[in-house]
Amino acid sequence: MFSISDLAAWFADPVNWDGRYGLWFLLLEHVAITLAALLIATIVALPLGLAIGHTGRGEFLVIGLGSISRAVPTMGLLFALVLLWGVQLRDVSLLVALAAIAIPPLLAGTFAGVTTIPWGIRDSAKAQGMTGFQRVRYVEFPLATSSMIGGMRIAFIQVVSTVVLAPLVGLGGLGFGIVQGLALRNYSQVVASSLVIIVITIVGSQLLGWLQRRTDDRL
Amino acid sequence: MKLSRITALAVSITALVGLAGCATSEAPPTDPSIETIVIGSQAYYSNEIIAETYAQILEDSGYPVERKFSLGQRDVYIPALEAGEIDLIPEYTGNLLQFFDPAATETAADEVYTALGLALPEGLTAFTMSSATDQDSYNVTKEFADANSLVSIEDLAKVTGLTLGGAPELAERPYGPSGLLSVYGVTVEFQATGETTVDSLVAGIVDMANVYSADPRIEQLGLVTLSDPRGLFLASNVVPVASGVVSDYVAYLIDKVSAAMTAEDLVAMNVRSVDEKLSASVIAREWLLSKGLVK
Repeated sequence: MFSISDLAAWFADPVNWDGRYGLWFLLLEHVAITLAALLIATIVALPLGLAIGHTGRGEFLVIGLGSISRAVPTMGLLFALVLLWGVQLRDVSLLVALAAIAIPPLLAGTFAGVTTIPWGIRDSAKAQGMTGFQRVRYVEFPLATSSMIGGMRIAFIQVVSTVVLAPLVGLGGLGFGIVQGLALRNYSQVVASSLVIIVITIVGSQLLGWLQRRTDDRL
Repeated sequence: MKLSRITALAVSITALVGLAGCATSEAPPTDPSIETIVIGSQAYYSNEIIAETYAQILEDSGYPVERKFSLGQRDVYIPALEAGEIDLIPEYTGNLLQFFDPAATETAADEVYTALGLALPEGLTAFTMSSATDQDSYNVTKEFADANSLVSIEDLAKVTGLTLGGAPELAERPYGPSGLLSVYGVTVEFQATGETTVDSLVAGIVDMANVYSADPRIEQLGLVTLSDPRGLFLASNVVPVASGVVSDYVAYLIDKVSAAMTAEDLVAMNVRSVDEKLSASVIAREWLLSKGLVK
């Protein structure tokens, strides 16, 4: 039913790489969808996490959002949004559904980054007469970066593997190769697509891990 | 090895004797040693309704029935059927033929049925097929059909810039973009619309879409199904497929269901499922009653 040599032959066939549903296009699409969802999540979670960490108000949001997002199945949310907003806006629905799973880890990472800064540092910034904005911009944000990137890493791993759902609502990405391959019983294609997703996940995760270590020594 | 062969022989003889007994009697069997009949179904609401009609007509004749419904796709339940974990499942001639013989070229209903009989692995039997069909078909909106005066797939040849929506696998199916071009000279750009195929058609994201012919939405949304004069699509009639030895009386009962079920009946039952949100068992029961197949 499937062998390593089939898989090698699949990768070697240029037909599988070219065209609208070829590997190259799907790969770029997969990465683009992932990055777009992470960008939206960052725009929401970063300011919110900094604000909650800075003021110490609204901590329940960090825990609450985390629990809700774990309870809501992404596939259900995606289908519900597509039904609600119509099929024309299915790409928006997909990005919102993906952002919904990316926001909680980013929020938690940002919040934890700010609150774990030693009190002495935050207090001395205040004692020097820095305004609230200055403390966020020059003290809390830089020192929380490492933890933020940690949250981003978790968000990335979850989003990059959930983009696979996109073809169910008629959008692309590497999930196409899996959904189509299963229906056609083309297991080489299924395994090849999965392998590429695994490679993206490992590369992206290592990259973020490296960035996290580089910002670690700020504290 | 030798012992198991003898056991197998003994079992077959017993089965044959049992068969002979059943063949002559048309009265509901009363033999208490009758084995439970396990009926499966795909994870497809319409298939579940058909499976329910099989289950209920058997139960009405006193057979104990076990339902193993929503078994997913063929990859999952065909091995179970071959292993004898399921005794009976409603299938579709064309799609099942394609599963066992991807290179099959037959498209007409009778040819597909004959080819299916040959393609089925040993141990599986296709009963007489029903006239009810649930097969792939190309559909356009009423407006699009009127604007381009479309009746059959042939008429699409004069339309340019067509987009075709369907499940991702349609891209590679023989009746997909390549078949449209070679059989009808129709050039389309394929867009994998997945579960949103019908919505995408109505929203104008695609011009034509592959929808199963028994889908209630064709009627509800006033879609126009393009006729297929050159036989691009495989006919896919509802056909019960059984595993191993099934008694003649069971076959007789199931054949009665297949003979009574028309394409319109199937669509009507699907409409009830989608519109009235009735359970498969209620829909099947009322249909069997309306046909006088159960009391």
